Amino acid sequence: MDTFILIGITGIGLGALYFLVASGLSLIYGLMGVLNFAHGSFLTVGAFVGFWLARTLGPDTSMPEFILAMIIGGLAAGAFALLVEQLLITRLYDRHIDQALVTVGVSLVVGAVLGGWFTNDLQIFPTPLWFYTAINVGGAMIPADRIVYIATAVLLLIANWALLKFTRIGLIIRAGVENRHMVNALGVNVRLAFSTVFFLGGFAAGVGGVLVSVYSNGVSPLIAGTYLIYGFIVVVIGGMGSVPGSFIAAMLIGVIRQFANYYVTGLGDFVVVILLAGVLLIRPQGLLGKVRA
Amino acid sequence: MNALSVKDLHVKINESHILHGVSFEVPTNKVTVLLGRNGVGKSTTLRSIMGFYQGTGSVTLNGKEILGMQTYKIAQSGVAFVPEDREIFASLTVRENLSLASREKDSDAAYKLVYSLFPELDTRAAQQAGSLSGGQQQMVAIARALLNKNEILLVDEPTKGLAPKLVSEVAEVLMKVAEHSTMLLVEQNLSLVKKIAQHVIVMDQGRVVYQGGPENLNDAAWVHQMLGVSGGHK
Amino acid sequence: MLALLLIVLALAPLFTSLPLGKPGLQQTMAVAFIWGALALTYDLLFGFTGLLSFGHALYFATGVYVSCILINHEVVSWWLAALIAIAASGLLAALVGAASLRTTGITFAMVTLAFGEAGHVIVGKNFFNLTGGENGIALDAEQIPQFWIGVFNTKYIYWTALLALIVTYLVIWWVTESSAGKVFAALRDNEQRVQVLGLNTQRFKLLSFVISGTLAGMLGFVMLIAAGSAAPRFAESTVTIALLLMVVIGGAVTRCGAVLGGIFYSFASTRMQDLTQQEAFTSIPKWIGGPIAEPALLLGIIFIFIVMFAPGGLSGAYYRLRLRALTRKSS
Repeated sequence: MDTFILIGITGIGLGALYFLVASGLSLIYGLMGVLNFAHGSFLTVGAFVGFWLARTLGPDTSMPEFILAMIIGGLAAGAFALLVEQLLITRLYDRHIDQALVTVGVSLVVGAVLGGWFTNDLQIFPTPLWFYTAINVGGAMIPADRIVYIATAVLLLIANWALLKFTRIGLIIRAGVENRHMVNALGVNVRLAFSTVFFLGGFAAGVGGVLVSVYSNGVSPLIAGTYLIYGFIVVVIGGMGSVPGSFIAAMLIGVIRQFANYYVTGLGDFVVVILLAGVLLIRPQGLLGKVRA
Repeated sequence: MNALSVKDLHVKINESHILHGVSFEVPTNKVTVLLGRNGVGKSTTLRSIMGFYQGTGSVTLNGKEILGMQTYKIAQSGVAFVPEDREIFASLTVRENLSLASREKDSDAAYKLVYSLFPELDTRAAQQAGSLSGGQQQMVAIARALLNKNEILLVDEPTKGLAPKLVSEVAEVLMKVAEHSTMLLVEQNLSLVKKIAQHVIVMDQGRVVYQGGPENLNDAAWVHQMLGVSGGHK
Repeated sequence: MLALLLIVLALAPLFTSLPLGKPGLQQTMAVAFIWGALALTYDLLFGFTGLLSFGHALYFATGVYVSCILINHEVVSWWLAALIAIAASGLLAALVGAASLRTTGITFAMVTLAFGEAGHVIVGKNFFNLTGGENGIALDAEQIPQFWIGVFNTKYIYWTALLALIVTYLVIWWVTESSAGKVFAALRDNEQRVQVLGLNTQRFKLLSFVISGTLAGMLGFVMLIAAGSAAPRFAESTVTIALLLMVVIGGAVTRCGAVLGGIFYSFASTRMQDLTQQEAFTSIPKWIGGPIAEPALLLGIIFIFIVMFAPGGLSGAYYRLRLRALTRKSS
């Protein structure tokens, strides 16, 4: 039974990481129709900025310092995302395939630059020591870092819900996901929503990048690729444009992957991919997505 | 000057030439009805005025050129749009649909007007707009357009798909609104058109073929020739 | 013009004192030819038929792995193994295509990505102890003709790759010029119009998918010969993304463009890695030198530039210049 709990919670922990990447992807695609292949680079930028800060602050990282690294990493990633949106994406307005292609280019360039500056080798991310302790949950010993991931993801989900529900920009985003041309016709410049969504998506990915670096035992430009692919899988299964959908899908996928890997090593990735194909063929709009016109 | 002046408007959509040099005037504070068979380009004309499509020619709003401007700026200039098929936001509440549209700082008077015309929108404020009936959704669509000061109202087939009782309700609202606005209305329902039209434009195959007063609407032969329908209800 | 170039390329290895007479450059060019041909197969799918697939590497890898496994286990002779591998790629493309083409646009891209990744996982994790895992499988040199083995026989690999490129080009030229090819192009531009004409768009898309996948499988076999092993990197999504780059940089709509894009990309990647080893390079400050050493930097920048400002790619620019020169002459 405790094995079940252990696998389940570590699966949810992994799902939390996927969610951090996927939430931004989901809104960016849902609102703007942009398939953002540069999202992995937002993750990497956040990871490296956080890494640099944590390293500069000294060898022993306290929890407040770690949180600061997460936030600064997130802000840097968000700023970078905004830059990409303003310089490249807006100029390709409504040319969706070209927008997707340009983000592919960005991911290559960022990977090359960061790989060139920091090398592609894994470098340990300075982490508070208590992350490596285990916490007893229902008889199972859960590594403490998983709890951090889950807490961060839940916080992000709540913040996202609050933003969408209670602010004007959130209203614009929700309406825009449904019908952005009509939002314009009402005299509301929907492009402000675009920039907001890119920034917030970048921020979430950046925070995710810091946490992924802890989970992967090191920071490297090469890690982002897998998380980007999983991010897309989560978004598609959860439904494009639906952040709650991404949350549910991310948890499901994390747990399924962990369980599959427990029984047969390496089976996890395969099962997830087949699940994706299955969902797409049976219910293309995903769990909570809308059928787009 | 006229509220809206369209000169030699050519619009291509995906390489299909839809509007072939459309020219007409919409007089201020009157209701102008845009008539024509299905597919002649009426909706395309309205949507081109809103900036959804690129085109050549000239579209001026009270003398100011708006052709080529971005859609949201056109709307902010005072062009209010009630699209065909309503296009309300189903996942938002009724209240949210309205507040999204409201741009005025002091909106109390506007909301009062809207709720006096459509009291149901007040009682159903928290209801998800997607669960409203067709008629109620149409009310939301019209209400949205009335929340801001506007120079002209573009209304595209507001009674489409509605039951006869609702058609008269919508007609009543439109007539009330028309008392203080300039309106360009696309409508197929001839009895509504006869009641409300003060100026008539007829289109055929992407061109304007008649511009003038509403006198001829009672001439069944004229109506049949222009629109290919008999002069009664649809 | 093109024929002349081909003759030069074909004869060049015979002159051992010239650059192409040396095995090193021959190997680089052979790999470049294969990538050029592979880019062309992707161009049929994306540039011509408008199908944005992210799982093209799957069929390439199938060609590589199936032929390698069959040859190593001495199941059949090498040329039969090659044929079986090609057929397997084609069959897989038919099955995956039939399923994926039920979706369109972005969803289609995602489904193909999923299947591609599934393939990557299968070869990477050594399923059934057949696929060799992370390190791949070395090709058993005993089982293939001797003229492909050994450094001094590199020119035969070069010729084989060149032949594969020519064959691929001819097949795709034939397909795109045929009436089916016209339908593919029409599909890319406006699928609705094609449906209105009463044509079964699904069948044509599937045909394009299968042809492109089968050719990729053949090229997989050729790559096996050239590389001497099967490796998981042939199945990565980065392969498909590289093909996408090649096609866009070269010019998505033209055949030559795609081929040139592929050859350029492959050549540039290999050459840039060699460049960074040289002495002059080590004197550049690390923060500039580091990123420049990565081929992805330059390619990524070129790619962005082309997407933003020159969507027709290099061949599009070429045609525009030619057009301008022609109109200037006549005026």
